[in-house]
Amino acid sequence: MERLEFDELDKLSEQKEVFAPDAAFEAPVKNIGKGHLFMAVEEVMPEIGATDLEVRGEIAESKGKGYPIARRDVMRLFSASAILGATACVKRPAEKIVPYVNQPVDFVPGNPVYYATTCNECPAACGVVVKTREGRPTKLEGGPEHPVSQGALCAIGQASIQGLYHPERHKSPLIQTNGLTKEFSWEAAFDRIGAIVKGTKKVGIITKGSTGSQRKFYAEFLTKIGSKSENVFTWDANGLYSSISEAHRLAFGVEGLPRLELARASTIVGIGSDILDVGTSVVYHSKGLSQALSIKGIEKGELVQFEAVMSLTGGRADKRHVIPVGSELATTLLLVRSLHEQSTAKGSKGAKAVIASVLDANKAALDQAYDVVGVKKEVFEALARKMLEKPSVLVAGGTASFDENATSLQVAGIFANILLGAYGSILNFDKGWSASPVKAGDMKRFMEASADLDVVFVIGTDPSFTLPASYGFSEALTKVKTVVSIQNFPAEVDRLAEFILPADHYLETWGDEEPVSGFLSIRQPAVRTTVNSRQPEEMLMWIAASAGSPMGYADYRTYLSAQWKSYYEMAGAKVDYETFVKAVLRRGFIGKLDTRTVGDLKDVKISLALPESGLKLVSPFDHRLRDGSFAHIPILQEVGDGMTTIAWDSWVAINPNTCRKLGLKRNDVIRVEGPGGFFEGAIFPLPGLHPDAIVAPRGNGHTDKRSTISNGVGFNPLAAFAKAEDKVTGQPVTSGQTVKVSLVGKTYRLAAMQKHHDIGNRSDIVRTTSLAALAKESGDKDLDTVPDLYPDVLHRGDYRWGMSVDLSKCTGCGACMTACSLENNVAQIGREQILMGREMHWIRLDRYFNGEVDSPGVTFQPMMCQQCNHAPCEAVCPVLATTHDDEGINAMTYNRCVGTRYCGNACPYKVRRFNWWTYKWNTMGEKERDRNIRALNPDVTVRTRGVMEKCNFCVGRLRDAKLSAKERSKEFGREFRVQDSDVKTACQQTCPSDAITFGDLKNPGSGISKLRRDPRAYLVLGGFPEEKEYGLKTLPNVSYLMKVGADHESVAGSEGTHAPEHG
Amino acid sequence: MRALKILTAAVCILVCQMISTDAKAWWMWSPGDTVDNSTQSMIGTGYHPEQPIDFPHNIHAGKLKMDCQYCHSAARRSQSAGVPPLNTCMGCHKIVATDKDTIKYITEKYRRNEPVEWTKVHDLPDFVRFSHKPHVLAGFTCQECHGPMQENVTAAQHAPLQMGWCIGCHKDNLDKGAKISCNTCHY
Repeated sequence: MERLEFDELDKLSEQKEVFAPDAAFEAPVKNIGKGHLFMAVEEVMPEIGATDLEVRGEIAESKGKGYPIARRDVMRLFSASAILGATACVKRPAEKIVPYVNQPVDFVPGNPVYYATTCNECPAACGVVVKTREGRPTKLEGGPEHPVSQGALCAIGQASIQGLYHPERHKSPLIQTNGLTKEFSWEAAFDRIGAIVKGTKKVGIITKGSTGSQRKFYAEFLTKIGSKSENVFTWDANGLYSSISEAHRLAFGVEGLPRLELARASTIVGIGSDILDVGTSVVYHSKGLSQALSIKGIEKGELVQFEAVMSLTGGRADKRHVIPVGSELATTLLLVRSLHEQSTAKGSKGAKAVIASVLDANKAALDQAYDVVGVKKEVFEALARKMLEKPSVLVAGGTASFDENATSLQVAGIFANILLGAYGSILNFDKGWSASPVKAGDMKRFMEASADLDVVFVIGTDPSFTLPASYGFSEALTKVKTVVSIQNFPAEVDRLAEFILPADHYLETWGDEEPVSGFLSIRQPAVRTTVNSRQPEEMLMWIAASAGSPMGYADYRTYLSAQWKSYYEMAGAKVDYETFVKAVLRRGFIGKLDTRTVGDLKDVKISLALPESGLKLVSPFDHRLRDGSFAHIPILQEVGDGMTTIAWDSWVAINPNTCRKLGLKRNDVIRVEGPGGFFEGAIFPLPGLHPDAIVAPRGNGHTDKRSTISNGVGFNPLAAFAKAEDKVTGQPVTSGQTVKVSLVGKTYRLAAMQKHHDIGNRSDIVRTTSLAALAKESGDKDLDTVPDLYPDVLHRGDYRWGMSVDLSKCTGCGACMTACSLENNVAQIGREQILMGREMHWIRLDRYFNGEVDSPGVTFQPMMCQQCNHAPCEAVCPVLATTHDDEGINAMTYNRCVGTRYCGNACPYKVRRFNWWTYKWNTMGEKERDRNIRALNPDVTVRTRGVMEKCNFCVGRLRDAKLSAKERSKEFGREFRVQDSDVKTACQQTCPSDAITFGDLKNPGSGISKLRRDPRAYLVLGGFPEEKEYGLKTLPNVSYLMKVGADHESVAGSEGTHAPEHG
Repeated sequence: MRALKILTAAVCILVCQMISTDAKAWWMWSPGDTVDNSTQSMIGTGYHPEQPIDFPHNIHAGKLKMDCQYCHSAARRSQSAGVPPLNTCMGCHKIVATDKDTIKYITEKYRRNEPVEWTKVHDLPDFVRFSHKPHVLAGFTCQECHGPMQENVTAAQHAPLQMGWCIGCHKDNLDKGAKISCNTCHY
């Protein structure tokens, strides 16, 4: 009987704690429809949402593994520890102080040392400044002077610190024979590989894309050992690099990528583009787009997007047209046709003739295309007129449009940009072009050459996972006698390898990148190797030496140093070479822009075939996990996809109306059967998709037991694709193949975080305005004067800190969430805990839709502690653990907190996070994932179980800035205050779109003071002050800037017609 | 029912612990790092652990009147005061007092490139952020917190290092810019 009682108790408590995010959390507000916001599609289409019953069924299924420790065990452990405590004294472990023997000059213990290096997570080559404490990297920031990153960094760049300290990196060289894996010494491995290499001359290298000296070095290695230098095969699953480069070769006879200066554009048209998700250089393009779309007086730029999927770029667009999957080429050609018809179209006579011939050749198809694409001719004509008026550019192609026409799409994009006159102004191809990191068609070449190869080195890339199985890569590699896998983290390709050699993480290596021709971005180690790994290039040097043909360099740095000589000569420095290199390392980059002459458009042919109707599978990159290379990094899994907010999972996104038509519901598991195979996944009804699009993102689906983070998470949608290639580059097709879907009869709860911290559906959360309304506004806003009965807010301190978030700029990329978690030691907790609504993000991204389900508007709202001056949380804390300081910050004292969670309940913004477990050492979900203590920020307390935590405006950074201001004041004998440039919060620092501003509100000239007086400024849940409605009167120090529509119309819930409801 | 019983038992044990002679403060059982002063007096002063060598502060700072920051030079620049690296010692002791056993010990350590592991005396809980820099900049002498080190051999805990002691001094020095808001030290 007693046991039954226990079980029932268990069940009851679980039901209490687990609130269903997808059940109707509260009754939807009346009148939801056009013009109103909705967070989840269930609010407008309840019939496709998951039912309460299903949700509970899923919990019962996962019961037992949901909690790391069962409730009863907790009780036992608790009493046991109490007894232990009674018998033994709790003694402080004596801590040791271990000073240096020879302390480096200028090193001060406790002060950070910074190194400039270059990110290697994608070929964009962003400059990075690595903050190290006592020799170990603790945080990465974009290099403020570096022209590519311009101070910002994307989520992946931020998270690379977790890749460096990942506990599951290889610890020593491994040799696999007959299914047995043995650890070997480096010397033995080199000797054995050297002997094999010596015996055969047929050696090849597959490597990831890079613009630096790497490829040249590999070619030199191959020549040295007697192989062919063209046996270097570059592979990047992001086919944009090769398709753009190849299209430019076809059009102008010169390979390379044009540099996209979006800041100079007024109208930007994206066709299937994902420049804000993946693109070719996310940070650079986000910065440019943010400048282009910012409000300049009464004008602002405009982004028009045509796409079948719902990308972050589409979410950011001012106008979005939904087109069928695979019709990107048709859409581009229709726009080219309209541009060509305009008399103001630019471009030489010859170029126009080529374009005219292509349009004529496809005339019949183009005439039909308007109906297929579903956009009227008038729309294209109006757009063409608008684009020709002001500097404009067309950006075509993205990871969601890799079909057989990917390169033709780029050629069509070149046509449009020639007619727009974008080359030379917005698109830099003749001056400062970027070389392509990947050589087009390399993988196709490898497949043909593989039969001829005896030894293949796979370095830093995992084609076994990132190529569709139907492509046959793994089969081709199996036939190669000896495969050497050189990876910094276990990869799927290791299975086929005889030798597995652990490579350094990029923060431990030397290297260089040349993202723009003539511009050298340097990679230097910020830490000594943390595991028993080595630099890949140096491994090759050792192997060459064991094979009896040494390369003649002491190490890779010597090789690089020789490569950089030309820059020394160019710079004309009056110092010796070593001093020059040191100066360059300090800065991280050097260069001038090369120029080259580009001829007129060559004769190119495009043949247009219109897509057929029917359900089409699209597998774009997940913007955090990309092709799956980052699936092992916990913070990237935990940040969640921007549009769906799903963490730790893969999903199949389908248009809600299609779901209704097919009788599918959220969380239903479906089987997607394509021409190449099938996969199963749970449905997420996502507004804004084309009704025929089945969107399953790549990134997850790893089945490698050595990586406990990514193993078994989600599925790999590439399984459904049959072998098909881009006609020109041979890049495998990952979009547009026809599929069938059928219900499996199971449900699987996706860990979508959207409704976990629901702050209600009030019209004063996301506010919007129009340029016309803004033009009428005059005078400064005063957000702080609110009539109420509270005593006046006195900011007695020297400063009053404030933050402003521009809703017009936020793209939902998640870089701020990543940076915040890494700066503040925020725990990653895993899927099971997220399903219970326990995610720990101090800053979250709320995504709101408005308008029609088929083509909604999207607004992202970063939501962090609002630092209320009349904070509801402070009033309810029984132990004064949360108090207001004299500088306006709502302080949280962890050691005082006893975990009543009253504050979390009182908070109207739902930004307080409770530690249900000591995530510091504890398991995340059911898997044991020991966080590497070295990856923690030593300046921020690590919180333990039972403690509430939240955003504190990076108060540690503030303290450092105030101290250095004080130090300066003392040194110069006059008062120095902290200025805008002296302190940046982690989220603000990394934001690639400059959406977040932070500073001192007591300084009337600071950026934040100006933005708080801006006509667009408002307080969330602060009502409508202009109508004498003041909302909750919490008086936050965080203000938001209203979202602005471009076309002189308000974006959503038009201002003035809202029906404010307060409470 | 059994759960309740266990809970009651646990609470009883905990309460007994708290009032027993060994227990000095409630936070001994709080999660995370705690400072245990159970072997010392109530307020933790006098903690005097054994060090690898008896470094004579009384000779260096007392007799020879060397400035504290000659060796602890990070105190004015950083959060940590810094224990000097061996090469600072060897700067003088290559020629000074080379016949002493302790000097032979550090010379051997230096030759072997091995650091000396000192035992931390002033150990704050991990939820406290303390920085030496502002205190040195504000003109406080080292002795105000660390006691008359120029008279002692190895370091012993002089100040209680508890919150009341911190706040007391901060309240007296508000005019110098000392803060008493919680997030000055807790974040």
